[in-house]
Amino acid sequence: MYVLHYAPDNASQIIRMVLEELAVPYRTALVDRSTRAQDRPEYRAVNPTGLIPALETPQGAVFETAAILLWLTETHAAMAPAPGSALRGDFLKWLIFVANTLHADARLLFYPEAHAGSAQALPGFRSQTEARILRHLGLLDTVAAQSPGYLVASDPSVLCYYICCLIRWITLYPADRRGWLDLARFPALFDLAETLQSRPAALRVALAEGLGPTVFTDPHFAVPPEGSAL
Amino acid sequence: MYTLRYSPDSASLIVRLVLTELGLPFEARAIDRRAGELDSPGYRALHPLGKIPAMETPNGPMFESAAILLYLSDRHPGLAPGPDAPDRAAFLKWLFFTSTNIHTAVMEVFYPERVAGEAAAGAVLAHASARLRTLLSALNLAAEANPVWLSADQPSTLGYYIAVLMRWLGQCDKGTLAHVDAADYPALHAVLAMLEQRPAARAVALAEGLGDTIFTDPG
Repeated sequence: MYVLHYAPDNASQIIRMVLEELAVPYRTALVDRSTRAQDRPEYRAVNPTGLIPALETPQGAVFETAAILLWLTETHAAMAPAPGSALRGDFLKWLIFVANTLHADARLLFYPEAHAGSAQALPGFRSQTEARILRHLGLLDTVAAQSPGYLVASDPSVLCYYICCLIRWITLYPADRRGWLDLARFPALFDLAETLQSRPAALRVALAEGLGPTVFTDPHFAVPPEGSAL
Repeated sequence: MYTLRYSPDSASLIVRLVLTELGLPFEARAIDRRAGELDSPGYRALHPLGKIPAMETPNGPMFESAAILLYLSDRHPGLAPGPDAPDRAAFLKWLFFTSTNIHTAVMEVFYPERVAGEAAAGAVLAHASARLRTLLSALNLAAEANPVWLSADQPSTLGYYIAVLMRWLGQCDKGTLAHVDAADYPALHAVLAMLEQRPAARAVALAEGLGDTIFTDPG
């Protein structure tokens, strides 16, 4: 059985929603961020970078969100265009775009002090990062508007969950900028998020991690039954 | 038939090395950066962000180095564990580790001003340089077991990916925060030393004018 090392409302949420959507058995193991459990040797043995999530599989522990997602789609032959199929290339390029461009910039937004270097650089850092994120979302909105097979909320791919979870966090964080993103500016992404958040898989995770009802389109800070988001 | 849009010694080099190693027919078509081709409508139709590389395929245009590597390895087995292989998970995690962590840190080291403007460039560089060394140590540790997907005995897509990144780091002036000496990471160094002797690497080095020891001592 899979073991998902998670913290509520962390990137592990993407994997958890996908595991629910795949309806495969798994159990969760809390990484308690309030005591910085991600820096302890036990977790570092699972993921040397200390980043959340990690998924224990029959092939060993896997980390990197997009790597876990891609591996799950291949292992369960679901939630992505199959290798060799016509849409595979497009799916891969947008998955990796989301992983190392959108997600990477989102991380800069969430942890600005770790990257901006000094307090006086913060405002410029934020405005540059926010501008890039808006451009990335605009690009994804254009793609989503064409409803390619890997961006259809009624038959969701892992990419749908990845994008919508990032939208949630970009809207919520950093806490003093909450709500800066107006998702209505990206109508195709808004539709995707609205449909996806009402799927049973998303609702189950929302309940388990205390995320509230409109997890993607109108997110609120998590009130989790265990652990800490930050 | 693939058409790789390239600029010498840029990220297209990773894809060119892999295409050549796979023995695939492809056209390498140079991008005229000085004429602003990256911002031209024609190139933006291939890559909406105007970055390098982009590759035209029978399934339409591809971009993002790691996506192109995965696409190629799906269709042309040999340089990475396939979707059904028992070490697929390990390969994927280190490929994405390299793409989302190491490659990103390398770009921050080279262009720190892009992260938060000129005023913060020094601090960004110091931070990224330290993080980069931690990440390289983690990958070096993974390479010590000589896995097929990052082996010192046979070529791999991930091997070429990290080799090109370390080539660029090795080219930075010694003593600067951007410089990395590949010899400090012995398991990775062994991969680089093997790869730069491959006929594929020699052919691409000649085509792009890169020199002899293109990975271990890039000059």
